[in-house]
Amino acid sequence: MKRVLIIGSGISGLTCAVETAMAGNCAVLVSPYPSERAQSVMAAGGINAVVPNGDNGDSIDLHVRETLDGGCRIAGERTVTGLCTDAPHILTWLEGLGVVFTRNADGSLARRAFGGQSRKRTAYAGASTGKQIVTALVQEARKWECAGRITRRLGLQFHSALIEDGVCSGALFYDETAKRLEPLYADAVVFATGGQNRLFGKTTGSALCDGYAAGQLFLQGAKLKNLEFIQYHPTTIETPQKRMLITEGARGDGGRLYYMENGRRVYFMEEKYGEKGNLMPRDIVSKCIYDAPSQVYLDIAFLGEQKIKENLREVYDLCREYLGLDVTKESIPVAPSVHFFMGGLAVDIKHRTNICNLYAVGECASIYHGANRLGGNSLLAAVYSGRVAARDIAQVSPTPSHANFESYIREQNEKLSARTATKSRFSAVYIQNDLAKIMNEDLGIVRTEEKLHDGIQNLQFYLSIVEKLKYDSEISPYQAYSLRPMLCLGLAVLTCAAERRETRGAHIRTDFPQRADNMATCTLIDYNNGAFDVTYRNEDELCW
Amino acid sequence: MLVKIKRQKDAESAPYWQTFSVDADPDMTVSALLDRLNYTDDLYDAEGVAAPRIRWECSCSQKMCGACAMVINGIPKLACAAFLRDEKGDVLTLEPLSKFPVVADLIVDRSIISENLQKAQAYLGTYRPLRKKDFEQMYAAAKCLKCGLCLEVCPNYSKGEHFFGALFANEAALLALQSKDRAKPLREAYDKHFAAGCSKALSCVGVCPMEIDTLASMARMNRSGK
Ligand SMILES: Cc1cc2nc3c(=O)[nH]c(=O)nc-3n(C[C@H](O)[C@H](O)[C@H](O)COP(=O)(O)OP(=O)(O)OC[C@H]3O[C@@H](n4cnc5c(N)ncnc54)[C@H](O)[C@@H]3O)c2cc1C
Ligand code: FES
Repeated sequence: MKRVLIIGSGISGLTCAVETAMAGNCAVLVSPYPSERAQSVMAAGGINAVVPNGDNGDSIDLHVRETLDGGCRIAGERTVTGLCTDAPHILTWLEGLGVVFTRNADGSLARRAFGGQSRKRTAYAGASTGKQIVTALVQEARKWECAGRITRRLGLQFHSALIEDGVCSGALFYDETAKRLEPLYADAVVFATGGQNRLFGKTTGSALCDGYAAGQLFLQGAKLKNLEFIQYHPTTIETPQKRMLITEGARGDGGRLYYMENGRRVYFMEEKYGEKGNLMPRDIVSKCIYDAPSQVYLDIAFLGEQKIKENLREVYDLCREYLGLDVTKESIPVAPSVHFFMGGLAVDIKHRTNICNLYAVGECASIYHGANRLGGNSLLAAVYSGRVAARDIAQVSPTPSHANFESYIREQNEKLSARTATKSRFSAVYIQNDLAKIMNEDLGIVRTEEKLHDGIQNLQFYLSIVEKLKYDSEISPYQAYSLRPMLCLGLAVLTCAAERRETRGAHIRTDFPQRADNMATCTLIDYNNGAFDVTYRNEDELCW
Repeated sequence: MLVKIKRQKDAESAPYWQTFSVDADPDMTVSALLDRLNYTDDLYDAEGVAAPRIRWECSCSQKMCGACAMVINGIPKLACAAFLRDEKGDVLTLEPLSKFPVVADLIVDRSIISENLQKAQAYLGTYRPLRKKDFEQMYAAAKCLKCGLCLEVCPNYSKGEHFFGALFANEAALLALQSKDRAKPLREAYDKHFAAGCSKALSCVGVCPMEIDTLASMARMNRSGK
């Protein structure tokens, strides 16, 4: 029986744990907090799958084509075909676990169209699809916990992977209660740590997704991919605590975008792209909103109170509570904001990274979405990737390692104690705030070489001093040791963005405003003794 | 405004109170206020003494994950859904939930919640599709955040040794209604870990941020036993 260490317990980590147990292996599922706190619970709008008798002759081929087109033709056809082909089975599996998907009056599965889809292909569970899936998966995982096949470890934060000679044997975690580092060894290690939100300060997503694991693994030799592709969700609202998302489901159900000009509403998306203009892929809608001459609004009031309260209840509640706005009567002021990361750990079709025995799944892995993810495809990818990784682990023999990590662990413990014992008043929060500021200002929807290089220089400066600095011990030890890897990740993102001298997907390079045919490929970045090496590869050809 | 916070360096240290002065807007939530304090470059308390950052648990910042449950002016609430405009008095008081061990400041260890659900073997078995009339309530029950507010407010819940509280009643009802083969053991666990200890104080109903109808779950479980 193999022992599989899974780090992160959102939808991808949970699925991987359940599938590992089903395959007869043992999973150790680690996260600082329970699954109910993971970003996965925030997913509102739905999950994509072509079901039998789908909308208007929908087909798996069409799902594949639209995913590739939406991703601006750089995702792999083979990988995306695997994802879309399995989608109907995934939906059936989730239903069997008790996910309460919304149904039509005739009992059939209700579906809506998300952006970039020509058919209604998105199944949903009211306005809390992610939460409903998490609840069912937690209950399923519990069954395997009772059977002794899944062990949950809460209160542990990832510190570093235990890697020697390109083989991973486990990982080291910081235990806040015991105040020390704890190693966990395994035959295979799966990262399911989500996106890189914290790099940008506050985003639409969870503060628990900070990108630290990707940054740390990068420093330990893992390749990262497509980091420059960041999705800006077109419709977010400004509240005193963060920007909150108005689900694409609002436009899927008919919501219309407009701005005011000379006292009249200009439905700019419909004017430019016709009847389905409001549902263009997110990159296009975000760019159009960015270019609009004045504040853009989303109108759903005309759908009527009953439909809004039935299908878009969360939108109604969110605007009422946080904006004091009644969406059954007024339009919602919206703007684009950082939302999803197409980039992350580079994986092959089996979700293996370039380090033996090390896998990545869910949003922390970069695959399927190309330069722009279609709404509803990431929940699908989270479930699919968890299953693929668990099945591969079950099938292959792990690469053996006889490495001894004792001295490494001792060294890291000493380093941590020295850091927490410092009496310095220099604020690490200052650097964190500045990192977020640099990422937001120098790497927006609109980018230039000059700005990107400013950002790179600033981060290089911080990196040159961060290990020498004695900063305050008053932040949590995790926050303290995560600073350098996060600065490195930020620098890697900016480097990839600077190297991509074209406009593709979510961003506009004003100095290179066209899509370049010779760049229809994925970016890989490697860390080699302080150097950041960028290369380009086709997604389907990636295998290690 | 003044914010008085019950602080504790770590699980072993003694708690103490510290007051901060902060510019606040009535439309801010408590979570926005904590962020404002924590994201200043240097943090000082109301007396001008350098203070460590305030540790609190936060994930979604929009009432979807249950991380930020704490006691606000004496009442258990989610910080990201508690608006300053609704709080009375000149001083805002923040304390960690009292029924769980403190990890640091406002962060508590709620792992007992999942441990107890496992102890009660709260899982589905073979799936039986929900009847249409049950859909709405079960959809709501599946939204339980496992935040622990219902346990904090319940006069019968202390450390979760035998009585597992309202969140368990809702979980049991959700599972029993959808299970082809496990309704009986779920019902037995419900009797042992909920019905036997519930005095129907019902304080759990009002405190639930998801407005889950625990009474309806109780009614279903009682009926299913007949
Ligand atoms: C507001 C919002 C709405 C969305 N709506 C949709 C939608 O309708 N449809 C759709 O397809 N997608 C949607 N998405 C995207 C989707 O939610 C995510 O891509 C998906 O849930 C990611 O799942 P995951 O398992 O990869 O990661 P997550 O759910 O983010 O889980 C990450 C896990 O890793 C843990 N972790 C992180 N760092 C560490 C560390 N250092 N050590 C240990 N553990 C760690 C976390 O605690 C957590 O348990 C939405 C996203 C947001 C923000
Ligand atoms: S932070 Fe998620 S509920 Fe408050």
